[in-house]
Amino acid sequence: MYRTLLMVSVMLAALLVIAGCGAKEEPPVVTDPTQVVTEPIDVKPTPEEPTQTVPDEPAPLDYASMEPQEYGIEDVFFAFDEYSLSDEAMSTLSAGARIMRSHDDLVYVIEGHCDERGTVEYNLALGEKRAVAVRDYLVSLGLPASQLRITSYGEERPFAFGSNESAWALNRRGHFSRP
Amino acid sequence: MSRPDRMFLLIMLTAALFIAASPARAIDPEINLGTTRVGAERLDMLVQPLEVVSGGTEAQEAAWLIDSVIRVDLDYSGFFKALSVDDMSDTTQVQYAVEGLLEGRLPGTGVTAEERAPLLTLKLVAYPGRQLLLSKRYRPTWDRLRATAHHFVNELHLFLNMEAGISLTKVVFARGTGERRDIYCVDYDGENLLRLTANRTLNLFPAWSPDNSHVAFMSYREGQQGIYLLDAGTGKVRLVNETVGSNLAPAWHPQAEELVVSLSKVGQHEIYRIDLVGTIVRRLTVSPAIEISPSWSPTGRDVVFTSDRTGTPQLYIMDADGSGRRRLTFEGRYNDAADWSPSGTQIIYACRENDITQIVLIEAHGENRRILTDATWRNCEDPSWAPDGRHIVFASDRTGVFKLFVMDVRDGTSRQLTFGDESDKTPDWSP
Repeated sequence: MYRTLLMVSVMLAALLVIAGCGAKEEPPVVTDPTQVVTEPIDVKPTPEEPTQTVPDEPAPLDYASMEPQEYGIEDVFFAFDEYSLSDEAMSTLSAGARIMRSHDDLVYVIEGHCDERGTVEYNLALGEKRAVAVRDYLVSLGLPASQLRITSYGEERPFAFGSNESAWALNRRGHFSRP
Repeated sequence: MSRPDRMFLLIMLTAALFIAASPARAIDPEINLGTTRVGAERLDMLVQPLEVVSGGTEAQEAAWLIDSVIRVDLDYSGFFKALSVDDMSDTTQVQYAVEGLLEGRLPGTGVTAEERAPLLTLKLVAYPGRQLLLSKRYRPTWDRLRATAHHFVNELHLFLNMEAGISLTKVVFARGTGERRDIYCVDYDGENLLRLTANRTLNLFPAWSPDNSHVAFMSYREGQQGIYLLDAGTGKVRLVNETVGSNLAPAWHPQAEELVVSLSKVGQHEIYRIDLVGTIVRRLTVSPAIEISPSWSPTGRDVVFTSDRTGTPQLYIMDADGSGRRRLTFEGRYNDAADWSPSGTQIIYACRENDITQIVLIEAHGENRRILTDATWRNCEDPSWAPDGRHIVFASDRTGVFKLFVMDVRDGTSRQLTFGDESDKTPDWSP
């Protein structure tokens, strides 16, 4: 009885997460929030290899209606006031690029986001620089530029709320969405 | 009144301003910034209760409303201090007084709002002698009482200061959080809040045209950033520019029908002058750095803007054709969002230091840097000058969420302009 209740509540919680968050994915684990002030953020997107999360079973999934995160295209994170990619970010993007290549009929929007610190306009410009850095790296991996669009939301659409480094680290990201 | 008479009056007024200096005239500011307070002397203005000739309680309430709006306008201006008869002692001497008369219509007369409108006479008189200086007759509909009082105070400013006050001005700004922000407009005293957009997306950086007829702004209404133009009279919106990449905050040329804006169509942010259909008039910057946030000098000869070409965002000034670039700010590692004062002599901007963003005033030639806010203000962003060159509006999160505040940069007094739970940002004060 207890187990059934637990399972039901876990499923409900999962549903709530999927329904409520929409494009927003679960926050990745920041191992040591203090170090990300100067260092590129240490983020493990998911424990498993992203390519393995793409199911290739007979019932075809409608990828066009899914969020890229749902089939393993993970966001990348940036240090404060930085738009260069960390090694971590590059390996995340390499994994993402493999998935995108297998869905070459889909166009992806790379959204640049910033934390709340600083001015509205500079953050919009910085967010765009981040989106450009992500796009340029994906193109350097052989992905056609026609498959990628960029936009910036600056500090306007935060993923995590709060005025602390753990929230800020989550908000300095390159996020993949569909047009 | 003839021109020489008026000049004489102005001289007398100037003399009065010096002679009348006494501690009793000190204003009562909401926030006293101590060291930043300069020149807080104001001219006393007696506001007599409006005489209500007819119209009953409705007319009496209208008279009270007009009276209170005139008082707020006078105090807000920074030039005057509104006094009541109760404030007067036997030794108090005032130079000027506002008097008025309200004739409300009898109940049952008139059908249309215009026919029911009261007759209002407002006067400025000078003492001793109660000499009539200014007399205005209005027939305001009941919903135009506030606007009428603002109009009279503006006339009073024009008469005594030879320039318009700010009582008829408005502030546009972006309100909202997360998925959407809309452009709103509010009177300079916080009344008459009006939403100008409703497109369920992000709208930012509204900017008044020099003639107040249009508001240019940035919007994601077609999915990507674009520059749009809103007709303030009809509310109609049309596209100005939607090139690939960033289309950031537009700023109006002081004379020409032209905007200056940062676009990233060539791959990085550069500053362009564009006309109102998006045609490029001139590209002003060439640099791999972020170049944003342009603002014209009032003469249209120079543009102040932000560039991070040295590694941190700093303010620079260049000529209208992009030549003659010179660096303006050397203090602070993060300077942005400059706005050039209407007189052309000063620039305000946002400076981020010690993890807090503050409003800074600097002379246009780079000297006399003065921080206008302190840590009690928390973060302050997006300053914009009022046309009087004395007041500024900016966004501060001192109440927990960004709201708009107005500050008199001469005496340091301030007031909160907008209220509520939603975040208010990127204000622009109308000309």
